[in-house]
Amino acid sequence: MLFLSLPQDRPVGLIKILKDEGPVWTVLQRLQVDVRQELETCFLALAGGEEQLGLLWAGADFTVIERNARSKEFFLVPLDAPEALGSLRDRGRAEAVEPGTAVFWTEDGSSAGALPPDLPRKPLPVRTVLPYLGTPVIVPGTSSVPFSWDPLIGQISGRASESGLRSLVQSLQDFQTRYASTPNCEAAGDFIHDTFSSLGLDEVRFEPFTFSGGYKSRNVIAEKTGKVYPRDILIICGHYDSTSPAATRQTLAPGADDNASGTAAVIEAARALSPFPLDFTVRFIAFSAEEWGLYGSRDYADKARATGESILGVINLDMIAYADALPEELEVIVNAPSEWLAERLAAAATLYADLEARKRIDASIVYSDHAPFWDRGYHALLAIEDHPLQNPYYHKTTDTIDKLHFGFFLASARASLALLAELAQPVREGHPRTPAGLTAKPIVYRSLFQTAKSARLSWSAQGDAVGYNIYRTSLSHVDYLKLNPTLITATTYTDGLLRTDLPYFYAVTAVGFSGLESNRSKEASVAPESPALTVPAQWPGSIQILRVR
Amino acid sequence: MKTRLLLVPALLLGLTAPARAAELTLSVSAGVFLPQQPFYRQIYGSSIPLSFEAGWEFKGGFGLSAGLTALRDDGRAVAVSGEGEEYPLRFERLTVPLMIHFSPKVKGFTLRLAAGLAGHFYRERWRTVDLGFEGRTIGPRLGLAVGFPVLGRLSLFGSLIYEPLSAKSAPPPEEKVELGGVLVLGGVILRVL
Repeated sequence: MLFLSLPQDRPVGLIKILKDEGPVWTVLQRLQVDVRQELETCFLALAGGEEQLGLLWAGADFTVIERNARSKEFFLVPLDAPEALGSLRDRGRAEAVEPGTAVFWTEDGSSAGALPPDLPRKPLPVRTVLPYLGTPVIVPGTSSVPFSWDPLIGQISGRASESGLRSLVQSLQDFQTRYASTPNCEAAGDFIHDTFSSLGLDEVRFEPFTFSGGYKSRNVIAEKTGKVYPRDILIICGHYDSTSPAATRQTLAPGADDNASGTAAVIEAARALSPFPLDFTVRFIAFSAEEWGLYGSRDYADKARATGESILGVINLDMIAYADALPEELEVIVNAPSEWLAERLAAAATLYADLEARKRIDASIVYSDHAPFWDRGYHALLAIEDHPLQNPYYHKTTDTIDKLHFGFFLASARASLALLAELAQPVREGHPRTPAGLTAKPIVYRSLFQTAKSARLSWSAQGDAVGYNIYRTSLSHVDYLKLNPTLITATTYTDGLLRTDLPYFYAVTAVGFSGLESNRSKEASVAPESPALTVPAQWPGSIQILRVR
Repeated sequence: MKTRLLLVPALLLGLTAPARAAELTLSVSAGVFLPQQPFYRQIYGSSIPLSFEAGWEFKGGFGLSAGLTALRDDGRAVAVSGEGEEYPLRFERLTVPLMIHFSPKVKGFTLRLAAGLAGHFYRERWRTVDLGFEGRTIGPRLGLAVGFPVLGRLSLFGSLIYEPLSAKSAPPPEEKVELGGVLVLGGVILRVL
């Protein structure tokens, strides 16, 4: 059983703290409140009497959900219908914390077993998420330059094939069930491992973990190591476990849409990218035990944060092949800090897959493998066919390959692959090598009345470059503006003066003798200087950028 | 609050207006401004103000004075994190004081104790980039001056003026900026009437 880790010597309650325009972030940081979950309109936190008094004194608007949270396991569950809360209360205790979201728990701590088996759920993290909470920063709108067609990205995304996806989904469905904890699920993991191994990637491995009171399963991880930035990682993932009603899930849970589709797209992405050397490292991950409560991805994200892994972005594919109406749109769900990923996916979908991808910023949609990455301060998106789900075969024994729409499925897979390829940056023949070692150091200037800053950039020289271009944006990875009218021949540049209340992200490219430009370097950033916005140590991962258009 | 502060000298002026002016003086002076806030001193140091003032003296040594004090100085933005570029600044302030004074004569010298309000108009510009700030405020002003006659209607004088002057910086974050300090002035007074 998974319990919240709490100090043993004082009563601690589960409370809901409403978000406001800004001060609550500062209050949470100042009081070091043990926040366990960020939702769209509130935070859920554990707080003893002393902390609650501090919050009261600071003017925070909070309510106590459960007075004694010790030794209890709390789950977030969706409230899709008005009667859902009553139905949950028949099984244990439940409180709606915002429209569409409830917290569920039982007095005896057996919450997982008391939940309806086919209901999506997310356990509250066992450790605080406070260090990774985004602080809102308002970024003024800029004129977004549309991304243009890149033949190399088009070539890579075009390598994802319908036949490949069909074959993979069929193979995964043929395991009958992939319900985590069953031997069939482990066999499916072996199949994914073997398939990855056949693709000539740099590394393929299992990462075992235990969940829900001692069950065991494995994430399957394949890696293509970056040539310029081997330690900076992009992840494309999907869960390979499946479920169906309690009576059948041990023997029959085909999970063609949920989520053989996402897993197949991950494997197909690995196959498509395998011949191309990349600037950044890409990890292709098939997670397990998602249906039990996101245990595989949580294990991975917790370990990644603990070891300081630099994860630039996560593309989570979960149910991307069912079309309830044509033309089907792909829903792209992000929290505010990850908005850039949704913008980039929407652009890639239009350019490379003739697919419309619709961005939705909602920190309360936490019922898939992107959510544990949000909890640990990483940027992640969920790509899904519909939200709320429209697939009538969801979590049923009838979720089979014949229900999938392969035109939509292929477009979703190609869009995701195109985004991954754009971010990972295939090495381009004849172009200079991508610059590395970019740093941005802010210098703050003050007069009597005003504060301004400049950013001093420096990077490593590239032997095959005759000069460099500098790009800047206030919304990471989107809306880049070229700063220099003529090529810069030095390896330093000072950009100033700048507003102190905005973040700035920089990238540099090298230009060769032939005039060809390299890929962009990894971003370097300078944070807002305003003391009202307490910038956490994980910057830029934990800045919540709100763009105003 | 500011409106009420403005009303005080206006009321006093109104009360004294019916009385016939016994003496009208004009003065010109220059000196040094010693800013109160260390950060102000760090940017601009001390500066040289110029002042012009007219005074009306009534019976019993009481009177009113009004005038203009102008102050301009150049400085450089302070790089608070690391060594940076040079960003030259210019600060300008125009002050319009309105004060009540009492001027007893002590052994041939004229002592003047004054108190009142002053309206301040100020601006700071970053001279090489498009940044600047303008503001205005009203604050108290206290003065002490000593004068002695040198030639006919002409006297020399020296004065000390203290003017606390709080302003707010441009957000974010809005911070208190102290523009006040002490003016040490010396000049001449001409008795017109």
